[in-house]
Amino acid sequence: MKKFFWPLASLAFFAATLIAWKLAADARLINPLWFPGPDRAFAKLWEWIATGALWEPLGKTVWRMFAGWLAACVVGVALGAAIASSSITRKLFQPSAEFLRPLPASAVLPPAILILGLSDAMIVFVVAFGCVWPILLGAIHGFRALDPRLLEVSKLLNFSSRARVLKFQLPSALPDIFAGMRVSIAIALIVTVASEMLSSQPGVGYLMLVAARAFRSADIFAGIIVLGFLGFATNALLHKLEDRLLRWRVP
Amino acid sequence: MLEAQRLSVSFGAQRHVLRDIDFTVAEHEFVCLVGPSGCGKTTLLRALAGLTPISNGAARFKGEPVLGPQTQLAIVFQDYGRALLPWRTVAGNIALALEARGIPAAEHAHRILPLLKKFNLADHAAKFPAQLSGGMQQRVQIARCLAQEPEVLLMDEPFGSLDAITRQELQDEVARLAKDERRTVVFVTHDLEEAIYLGDRVIALAANPGRIAEIVDVELPRPRQQLGTREDPRFLQYRHRLYKHLAH
Amino acid sequence: MGSVVPLSVLALWEILSRIGLLSEDGFSRPTAFLAAGAKALADGTLLEQTAQTFSAAAQALLMSSILGIGIGAILGLFRPLERAAQLTVDALRPIPSVALIPLSLLIFGFSRNMSAAVAAFACFWPILIVTTSAVRGIDPRLTEVGRMLGFSLLHRILKLALPAAIPGIMVGIRVAAGIAIVVTVTTEIVSNPRGLGHGMNLAAQSLQADLMWATLLWVGVVGWLVNWGLERLERRWLYLR
Repeated sequence: MKKFFWPLASLAFFAATLIAWKLAADARLINPLWFPGPDRAFAKLWEWIATGALWEPLGKTVWRMFAGWLAACVVGVALGAAIASSSITRKLFQPSAEFLRPLPASAVLPPAILILGLSDAMIVFVVAFGCVWPILLGAIHGFRALDPRLLEVSKLLNFSSRARVLKFQLPSALPDIFAGMRVSIAIALIVTVASEMLSSQPGVGYLMLVAARAFRSADIFAGIIVLGFLGFATNALLHKLEDRLLRWRVP
Repeated sequence: MLEAQRLSVSFGAQRHVLRDIDFTVAEHEFVCLVGPSGCGKTTLLRALAGLTPISNGAARFKGEPVLGPQTQLAIVFQDYGRALLPWRTVAGNIALALEARGIPAAEHAHRILPLLKKFNLADHAAKFPAQLSGGMQQRVQIARCLAQEPEVLLMDEPFGSLDAITRQELQDEVARLAKDERRTVVFVTHDLEEAIYLGDRVIALAANPGRIAEIVDVELPRPRQQLGTREDPRFLQYRHRLYKHLAH
Repeated sequence: MGSVVPLSVLALWEILSRIGLLSEDGFSRPTAFLAAGAKALADGTLLEQTAQTFSAAAQALLMSSILGIGIGAILGLFRPLERAAQLTVDALRPIPSVALIPLSLLIFGFSRNMSAAVAAFACFWPILIVTTSAVRGIDPRLTEVGRMLGFSLLHRILKLALPAAIPGIMVGIRVAAGIAIVVTVTTEIVSNPRGLGHGMNLAAQSLQADLMWATLLWVGVVGWLVNWGLERLERRWLYLR
């Protein structure tokens, strides 16, 4: 029984927040044009689900996000392994990657639109560009961090370079790579939605922008709930994957 | 089988770690290298394994110079935690040696099982190193080295990080193993009693620079016993004889 | 040696553009956009846009710090409250800041507040979390001293909890400062007609590729400088302690 106390208390607190929001909206303490009550937001969300209007834009947003992120994972890990392999390549390439990391990923949207036009491919490219740097830097760090003792073991066992990378360096680098992947998946969601808003490509982001212009605040909140849920779900999935692949770690 | 021929190792012009080490390890022999800290015994072992470059003289394995690390000369490290792959299970770590030898995956299980049984690891085959005690991790490392089917087993203070009771258990396991399988073993330790207990021959090294101080043939009956052998008057004689080499 | 790669890229870009392999409309060329950048700096447009972006980011950082540190301190001091609020925090935190752009547009229209509100949401969470754990990690001895001396809650927060938690909080603020700039620029690119983000958009829309690339480069340099400056500041702060 005790075990359920805090989760329940947490739920009660959350419910209380929603109720307070509703009461404030009804009493016009907050502008109901901007903040319709949670009941209207959830009703609108339900309508989207029931009429099927949610699935196509959501599907597009999800596909762009994952396509870009996965591309960034593959490129980031492969390049990271290559760059980490010698100190010369590291000195050449790592500073550039470090410089590009703080760059807002959305900042490459205007050039991308100018060059690639308004399209899915453009969005996926921008997402991949934004996601690759944290993964690349994580991979470089991870591939370098192989315990020298394990490196000796790999030599003693006469493994080829390729076997060494696959059996020793890659698993050893995984924790750092996952750290980069966690950061990038958040970037992927943000950049996808931002791209949709800017380029008016059909997706959840565009849906919400259109609603803003038409003052349909219930739609906006329904969209916020959907995106919040998407953020939560992708984080949880990645966490589960990480727990499975890295279950050997010292607790 | 394994020879050091006037072997010298220096790091730079000033640091002479080993000077003119000369001895031969015969097949099936259990040789212990003992000496005070810093005398270069680990460096000597690594030089014999092909991990540390030799400045003068040579290390020879079956007559050929040792040019680099090879699977025939398996080395068991003291820091077992760092020598095992943390992301592989016990079985996976032992399998690593089989993969190195190019043995197809289908045969792995039936080769790993006897090793697991020999080291009492059968119940822990699916565990990760982080879930094991120090003694068990060291057993896994030894099992992996044996899976390499090496000609010589080199052991670098393998029990130095373990508690006294585990140390004694493992001493007996290694001694038994070496005799049952007729292994050639070179065992480095700073513990004189351990060296006399385990070895057919004990080579005592002096420090600064590392050189052979004395070689003693240990003629104590086998199988050795923790209580019986250590109280044997000859054991104590060997101890007295070699003790002076351990003092700084 | 780190500059070899960027310089080679620029050189290659210049060459490919001149021989016609890269279209000038979209790609421009380094000599052109560096010139455009110099001009935009000289006539003040870049600096004005930078000031707009920075002022919105600073406003966001200020608001999120006050709220984040305040609420974080309370949650850190009262464990039951923190546990009760867990679900609410976990439900709100994953909301991507860009999701709030339409709402912010609705409420604030095109203005500095619009960008600042969205960025403040993004900055709030790291500061909240870092403050909560920093305050919770305070030596309980200190709390006992506060209660013995009869301090009110406000005083316990101001005189004991916060000063002890400051190093941890500073790390959160450094992270948040970086986030503030990134999110502000993002809101400007997506919708708000002010600041550097808008500058880039405007240049792209009026097909001034050289100005667009110049602004992008400027954003990169500024972002990197801010990051570097904050790291130096944090290291100096830690060193002083």
